Amino acid sequence: MKVSVSQQQLAHGLSMVSRAVSPRSTLPVLANVLVATDDGRLRLSATNLEMGITCWIGAQITEQGAITVPARTFSDLVNQLPNELVHLDLNASTHTLNVRCGMSNTDIKGIDAQEFPPMPVAAPQEGVPLNVANFKEMIQQVAFAASTDEARPILQGVLMTAADSEVTLAATDGFRISVRKAALSEPLPVPIQAVIPARALQELARIAADGEQVMTMSVPSGRGQVIFHMKDAELSSLLIEGNFPDYKAIIPRSFKTSTTMTTAAFLKACRQAEIIARDGNYVVRLNILPGETEPGKVEITAQSEETGFSENSVEAAIDGPGLVIAFNVRFLREVLEVIKTPSVVLQTNANNTPGMIKPAGDENYIHLIMPMHLG
Amino acid sequence: MPIRILSEEVASQIAAGEVVERPASVVKELMENALDAGASQVVIRIEKAGRRLVEVADDGVGIPREEIRLAVQRHATSKLETADDLFHIRTLGFRGEALASIGSVSRLTLTSRSAKDKSGMRLIMEGGQIKTVEETGAPAGTVVRVEDLFYNVPARLKFLKRDLTERQQIDALVTRYAVAYPERRFQLYHDGQVTLQTAGSGDRREVLATLYGIELARQMLEITLEDGDMRINGFISPVSLTRSNRREMTFFINGRWVQDVMLSSSVLQGYHTLLMVGRYPFTVLFISLPPEEVDVNVHPAKAEVRFRQPDRVFGAVQRAVRRGLLAYSAPPPITTTVWRGSPRQSAAVPPMIDPAWEMAAETKTAQREVSTVPSVTQPNLPSGQVPLLRLLGQIGATYLVAEGPDGLYLIDQHAAHERVLFEKLLSQSRGDVPTQILLEPVVFQLPPHGAQLLTEQLPLLTRLGFDVEPFGMNTFRVRALPALLTKSDPVAAVRAVVEDFEEDETPLQAEQEARLIARVCKRAAVKAGQALTPEEQSALLRDLEACQSPRTCPHGRPTMIHLSVDLLERQFGRRGSR
Ligand SMILES: Nc1ncnc2c1ncn2[C@@H]1O[C@H](COP(=O)(O)OP(=O)(O)OP(=O)(O)O)[C@@H](O)[C@H]1O
Ligand SMILES: [Mg+2]
Repeated sequence: MKVSVSQQQLAHGLSMVSRAVSPRSTLPVLANVLVATDDGRLRLSATNLEMGITCWIGAQITEQGAITVPARTFSDLVNQLPNELVHLDLNASTHTLNVRCGMSNTDIKGIDAQEFPPMPVAAPQEGVPLNVANFKEMIQQVAFAASTDEARPILQGVLMTAADSEVTLAATDGFRISVRKAALSEPLPVPIQAVIPARALQELARIAADGEQVMTMSVPSGRGQVIFHMKDAELSSLLIEGNFPDYKAIIPRSFKTSTTMTTAAFLKACRQAEIIARDGNYVVRLNILPGETEPGKVEITAQSEETGFSENSVEAAIDGPGLVIAFNVRFLREVLEVIKTPSVVLQTNANNTPGMIKPAGDENYIHLIMPMHLG
Repeated sequence: MPIRILSEEVASQIAAGEVVERPASVVKELMENALDAGASQVVIRIEKAGRRLVEVADDGVGIPREEIRLAVQRHATSKLETADDLFHIRTLGFRGEALASIGSVSRLTLTSRSAKDKSGMRLIMEGGQIKTVEETGAPAGTVVRVEDLFYNVPARLKFLKRDLTERQQIDALVTRYAVAYPERRFQLYHDGQVTLQTAGSGDRREVLATLYGIELARQMLEITLEDGDMRINGFISPVSLTRSNRREMTFFINGRWVQDVMLSSSVLQGYHTLLMVGRYPFTVLFISLPPEEVDVNVHPAKAEVRFRQPDRVFGAVQRAVRRGLLAYSAPPPITTTVWRGSPRQSAAVPPMIDPAWEMAAETKTAQREVSTVPSVTQPNLPSGQVPLLRLLGQIGATYLVAEGPDGLYLIDQHAAHERVLFEKLLSQSRGDVPTQILLEPVVFQLPPHGAQLLTEQLPLLTRLGFDVEPFGMNTFRVRALPALLTKSDPVAAVRAVVEDFEEDETPLQAEQEARLIARVCKRAAVKAGQALTPEEQSALLRDLEACQSPRTCPHGRPTMIHLSVDLLERQFGRRGSR
């Protein structure tokens, strides 16, 4: 292999795939990135067997070839190189990759590319275009609600359902649910339903560009995998098997009280309350006080035996009876951080039934949180 | 004392002692008789853990009218004719001893009608004496009522364990037979309440589901192996499903439940390197062999057997298990993967080197090397608080490294978190406990004895902030968790309460509470091999500093190792080691 690529593109490509590298693996080759010529471009791939990331960068190829090199070493090196052309030259018999750039000349010992696990490939006809205005934002609004508990694998996933012209992502950890819908610009030929590890989607959100982006998704039948294909990158992941909870059944049909607040003010009050609440199981109490004559407000209080007591008020437009309800403040903060509209609506029924948070004037996102109870 | 021949009464009580040790032995003998009689339904009624009553009713062949007296006579059996038959035993019973033995230490009522007789017979025996034999109307089949067990042998009575333990023994026994005989219907009542019931459909996985819960049954791997005239089949747990004790490895040989350490260790060899230290599989294996290959006549309660070719049997068991595990382990499960393994897991795969493991190993060697200096292994610090610590980082995703004014601290994150949760839960249980309600209540099932234990602990669980309620037979519903535990699986946290209970734990109430909390915390604490964010690491340190006894986990293991400045200096030769 003999290739020349721009240092910047190479560094960027390596940072993209490096998240799939598994440095602590028992298979040494998984700590490596695959560097290979591929149809006129240079391909970089990494996998931890659960998730794989590939990206392609433009390159001048004088000789085809492939090798795997330790990811850490290679990307640390490339990051230090000057912003010039990097020449990669493989000595296939010693599996050594020579990296030359400017005045620098380094040999890196690698492992035969044959040992690199094959990356899943999507047959072109299997992919469905997933044209969503902002898939990245969708992921950010949903994936955080997935569980991190390894004992409940299914809840570590995000349920993706797509049919006709609508795609929905949903995640839950057993205490909260996040559901986001979006319109597809083209209707789907076949409906899709899959539970994708939240971690893989978060990586996808990281490597995907902001804004509109053409992406195709394939779920090759019987392989338990999903592949997201973008122009210069691809992410594949194992799917999670099992039955995702029927979240629709849990979402209440109606609410007695609707409380509209400024998102920023509510978030700020929650962040302040959290400082005290984190020493007391993260409990905050929301006292929803509809005003008779003056505008209503929500009092947010946190108390901890060791740390102290805090109270914040947020002005609110309240429709319905007042209520005192307790929540895990971390849950509140996390959802408020992903809501982009200036106002947010909190809907409630009672202190032991779920509260629903959604962006004011946007029906595509809902987030349900189960309250806490003080014994 | 001169040598005297024992009176018949005493002699038969001694003989009974070998067969009938406790209520569960009575259940076993009667149940086996019912199975031998070809019953399709076996109904077992227990009162007061079997002290008051053990009754087994079946719809089997019954006892012919004229033989009813023989049935309770010692060495009377319909199952064996010649001594030679002893080597081809196909029935569970063969000594003709059980009813006689039971009858000598209880009040026994035997009612039976054989299908060919118009009316049945009832025989009443008390302390080994037949009191009455009379004709009676009865459905075809046999009912044996054993009342007031050991009423005439107070010494035996004293050896019985508390009711809970005796019940557990009975439950464990009936559960196992119900699994072994899926085509028979079993019903078990304790004090009038049904606690176990199977459909008799013949589907063993279905029986597992009714007794151990659908989730477990779904995960169990079915295995079979045939080797000439030997056949092994049954169910084994995947490596992701483990128990903390060996009790859930069950073996049936030719339909008979046996306990054999060699069989258990063959199974464990089958799992070799796949399970973490201290974890055991859940298995039910059925081995069938030509009767002449097994000697069942070695133990009075028939709980042990001898094989003619032991190595062949043990080897086959090990192979069957290993093959089963490998066959099912095709797609790497998304959660328990070796490649992101914790040091402990990857230790099981020695040939390849995992950097994480090396790291942990390094600290281990370090520990070993310096352990010649006593202050390392036995921290000689006051048992009280720890000084303020400055976090340096995490190693091997298992230990935290921190600096204190007096040297370096290595902290086991799991043990430390256990300690933190433990103290918080314990102090909360004395006041208001904030609970987090679940979106959807989770329903789960326990085996009967687990259900019993959990029911006893419900009030304490409520005080800890669990909202758990009974929800049908052996089934429970969790509606809320203590807020502290929201990162853990609700069912696992509740199960932890009953999972590892040892048979005879009868601690004082206060101690029991602490133990139970410790159990829950062990489950809920972060595991070794779990990468923590820097924020999580420092939060853990802060919480540990605030603990009353930060140096040990609730189970008494150390949470930290301290390498004093003094020690470091000596080790590096900066100061002579006097
Ligand atoms: N439930 C039953 N249905 C039909 N016959 C029975 C039943 N229980 C006992 N019997 C008859 O009574 C006899 C004596 O039973 P017992 O349990 O004392 O001895 P066994 O089963 O022959 O041998 P072992 O002592 O090994 O159990 C049996 O051989 C059988 O003929
Ligand atoms: Mg018998």
